[in-house]
Amino acid sequence: MNEIPTMSAEQLGMSKYTRRQFLKFSGAATAATAATVLSMNDIAEAAITRPLPLGTPILVVVTLYGGNDGLNTVIPYKDPAYYAARPDLTYKAETLLPLSDGLALNPAMTGIKTLWDEKKVAIVRGVGYPEPDRSHFSSMAIWQTGSPKTHLSTGWLGRWLDTQKIDPMTSISLGSVLPPLLVGAKNSGSALPLGGLVIPSGIYAQACDRLSQPSKADNKLMAAAALSMRNLFSISGNITPILSQATQMSDDLPTVGGGNAGGDSNLTQQLNVVGKLIAAGAPTKVWSVSLGGFDTHANEANAQAALLGTVSTSITKFLSQMKASGRSKDITILVYSEFGRRVKGNGSEGTDHGTAGPVFLIGDRVNGGFYGDQPSLTKLIDGDLPVTTDFRDIYSTVLEGVLLTPAEKVLGKWSGRIKAIKPV
Amino acid sequence: MDAKRLEISRLINRFAFGPRPGEFAAALKSGAATYKKSLLNAPAIDSGAPQEPVFADLGPRPAPKSADSAQFSQALGAQKKELTIWWLDQMVLTNKPLQERMVWFWHGHWATSIGKVNYALPMLTQNQTFRKHALGNFKDLSQAMLVDGALQVWLDGNENTLKAPNENLAREVMELFVLGVNRYTEKDVKELARALTGYQVPRSTGVVTLNQKRRDTGAVSILGKTATMSGPEAINHLVDQADCPRFLAERIWYRFISSTEAMPKDHPLISALAGKDIQQGLTTLLNGKDLTNAKYSIVKAPVEWFVAVCKALELTPSKLNSFAKLNGYLDKLAQIPFSPPNVGGWPTDEAWLSSASAQFRISFADWLVKQADLSAIEAIAPEKRVAYLADLLAVPEWTARTSAALGDLQKTLPRLVSLAICSPEYVVSQ
Repeated sequence: MNEIPTMSAEQLGMSKYTRRQFLKFSGAATAATAATVLSMNDIAEAAITRPLPLGTPILVVVTLYGGNDGLNTVIPYKDPAYYAARPDLTYKAETLLPLSDGLALNPAMTGIKTLWDEKKVAIVRGVGYPEPDRSHFSSMAIWQTGSPKTHLSTGWLGRWLDTQKIDPMTSISLGSVLPPLLVGAKNSGSALPLGGLVIPSGIYAQACDRLSQPSKADNKLMAAAALSMRNLFSISGNITPILSQATQMSDDLPTVGGGNAGGDSNLTQQLNVVGKLIAAGAPTKVWSVSLGGFDTHANEANAQAALLGTVSTSITKFLSQMKASGRSKDITILVYSEFGRRVKGNGSEGTDHGTAGPVFLIGDRVNGGFYGDQPSLTKLIDGDLPVTTDFRDIYSTVLEGVLLTPAEKVLGKWSGRIKAIKPV
Repeated sequence: MDAKRLEISRLINRFAFGPRPGEFAAALKSGAATYKKSLLNAPAIDSGAPQEPVFADLGPRPAPKSADSAQFSQALGAQKKELTIWWLDQMVLTNKPLQERMVWFWHGHWATSIGKVNYALPMLTQNQTFRKHALGNFKDLSQAMLVDGALQVWLDGNENTLKAPNENLAREVMELFVLGVNRYTEKDVKELARALTGYQVPRSTGVVTLNQKRRDTGAVSILGKTATMSGPEAINHLVDQADCPRFLAERIWYRFISSTEAMPKDHPLISALAGKDIQQGLTTLLNGKDLTNAKYSIVKAPVEWFVAVCKALELTPSKLNSFAKLNGYLDKLAQIPFSPPNVGGWPTDEAWLSSASAQFRISFADWLVKQADLSAIEAIAPEKRVAYLADLLAVPEWTARTSAALGDLQKTLPRLVSLAICSPEYVVSQ
């Protein structure tokens, strides 16, 4: 196919990203038709004239797929019950990164420990929801829809998108499949594969453009198929040039023994791309990235430490990238998983599906420290940790504190809040 | 919309991986009832099937950097490639399309990934098991899957022992394979895990054995029954639950009729599956009213789309000009056979409709169409090509939008064909 001529990093260097270059790019893509050139011009115009204003809060959601073992993430290392419950799986106290309250971070999380010391990390303990579901899919659906009791087909951030004006740039998920998190009733997030988008050109672009227009005869799914093609043109026009200078692709690590519950494997690269796009002024307020491999039924210690190391290092790098762009004050990162794991080891040097786990909020606008009570290791419910904080307390806080939207519009009436976000 | 075109389009696209040239027009002529009969009564011998691969046991992985390590990796890679391309060929070339479509369904149902299993041999064996039982009895299939090496490796069966029960397999058997979520208690999962202890399997062969020393032989209580149960007895006990046919009906509904609309609670498919006879269930489904109900549209998953394009354009996957490219496109569309993203199988519908997948589909389409022989379309007068494509692809009807967009390109082969297979009318089974 006729692909857009690739421009060199020099031509499209982020700092030298000019309107002229943008028009050149869009012209090359769509010279064949006046209408399409116009619409590409509109997009170019928009990206230049409406970059996200500095000071606009940005949310980055990091989903850990598979059920991260919270007890080996934020470790109650002074509690004898911890060592008694999982002798194969405990860390030696001297290798841990002590916080306070008898808790320490996993030895692999040195970057996040540094951020904690700078008071930029809130750790919410014992997070879950009533009547915990131990199925990966049901529990992830509950977290992503924000609805433990009734099944909803929209995600909590999708419903937030429904409160915003329709714009495929408002929320972007890295990877080619859109997570339910960003699906709204009338507005959905966009998916962005690593490596960027390449759109057709010439007469073919004109035909694709016509093919992607809405039709009254479309059923719901056909309309969605047409919309995805329309969005392709607007997103690629805005983003591809920036991505063309992305760093080399590399997988972070193998998903040893914990790889059957979803999620991507290249968090570092995803956050690198998000960082570049934020720095370039993409008008995007919500980003979604993910890491899979946390389903550690067997041989957990090494696998989980490698994964947590990736989470910690990639977030730390991302935030330092943001500092350079002047946007670090705007960024809040939310890290969660669908459940924690069973307190007792299962004998395969792993753990089975459990309930409550810690949630992290990270960024300059975060009031660092612990929130929520640490679940007791001796008052277990069916061998599992009791939930001490409902995740909707966190969502409400993020909706109001970061996305500046009344939580009720997204979650209905919900009164719980935590004080982890500084007012704007 | 023409009800007959809609029904036959759905039959071919959803249950047969799409039409070969002329198949849709012929089915329109002979009628839906005749087409259903031919689907349900496929010939005994699959004259189209490509030669099945035969894999040597590669044995345990040599130590990293040892002398044999590179050769081993090469052999493993070659087997995986051969496995994937063979199955894609099989989907395209088979003369038993409903059976093969069910193999694909079962692969998504008992979703096992070569990403963890590592070896092609046990994945091939599992695939053969799906084919053997594709339209047979679900109880037999479940028993075969209990001792399926790939599934046992995938869900940590090796680690599930008397001393240290591991719930992974037991939970998914209840939740995803036999009963469905919330139709059992946490206690049932733990008890089933005990009943399923003791299986051992070497990764490279996938041959499952039972080690009595590692078995928990105590009585277990599962779904109201307390007894000493062997693994096969426990599986039979689950399959005998009334929730099993209901769950199977729900899953078949979800993949063939609609993942966005719920199955009616008293759908005849449930009672048709009471004996767990899959052929009987599908006969009822095909002869029911769902396939003429306009609201039940469904998106073709990327592999389904690819296979349908190959059939319509008479392409053979193994003869495409680059396996690496083919694999790359399927990877970008997020669906490679033998590599489901997780044990729940692949997503559906809107998950396949991101702007990213729109892009990859367009370039994939271009790459495929360029390799096809389009002389039959070329021979047709340009103004008749758009209508011809609707029949070639079993599209019930082009919208005015798409007719006009295709009309602009009617003289521009192969672009016309690329655009048609990327249209909402083709990506979605209406």
